[in-house]
Amino acid sequence: MPLGLLGFEQFKSYRLYSRPSQEPFLWLKALEDPKLAFLVLSPFLVLPSYSPKISDQDVEFLGLSGPEDALIFNIVTIRRPQQATINLKGPIILNRHTLQAKQVIPVNASTFTVAHPLPVQAH
Amino acid sequence: MLILSRKINESIVIDGRITVKIVRIDRDVVKLGIVAPPNVPVHREEVYEEIRRSNQEAITEGTSGVPRLSASARPSRIPTPADAGSTIQPPKQAEVKTGSETKPKESP
Repeated sequence: MPLGLLGFEQFKSYRLYSRPSQEPFLWLKALEDPKLAFLVLSPFLVLPSYSPKISDQDVEFLGLSGPEDALIFNIVTIRRPQQATINLKGPIILNRHTLQAKQVIPVNASTFTVAHPLPVQAH
Repeated sequence: MLILSRKINESIVIDGRITVKIVRIDRDVVKLGIVAPPNVPVHREEVYEEIRRSNQEAITEGTSGVPRLSASARPSRIPTPADAGSTIQPPKQAEVKTGSETKPKESP
């Protein structure tokens, strides 16, 4: 992630991994700072019609030639037990071939919220 | 803070590689055209701040307390942008430039 995450520009290398018991959530962990970890999720699980419009500049930056080159993950915030939200305004776009990623602000960002409630299962 | 006066169509150059041009002035709205290298992100401040704050809040320590999604949101594979008919388009050939100036951006 050559530009880091917004507000964390200095951390550029991340490991994306899953823990079987926590799927479909994934972890995005900074290699340079083990304390910097984010829970991420494919937005299409919560909002199948989610369709962020990625700017030409970002498409070019990531070297994408079409939607099939990209994976999208959005950062999840756990508010309290059994309450979590997902940031739809700042998706992380990953080029699945180059593994280069960027947290982008979509052209249509104003139609999305940074705290979309997740449908969480009660215990 | 450095304050400069500019007329319409005049620009300022920052660091020899970023150009900010006054494109249009309409009452209390100024349209800026920004040309910056691809590795210089340009954002509207309030949107940048909102996402920065959200990122800050989202830092998750430890790996416990991860919620379980409702059954409806648990598919057998991770969907891709292609599934949602996403709008990622390859950049048009004419827009692919060499060199550093590849990021014209307008901001109201």
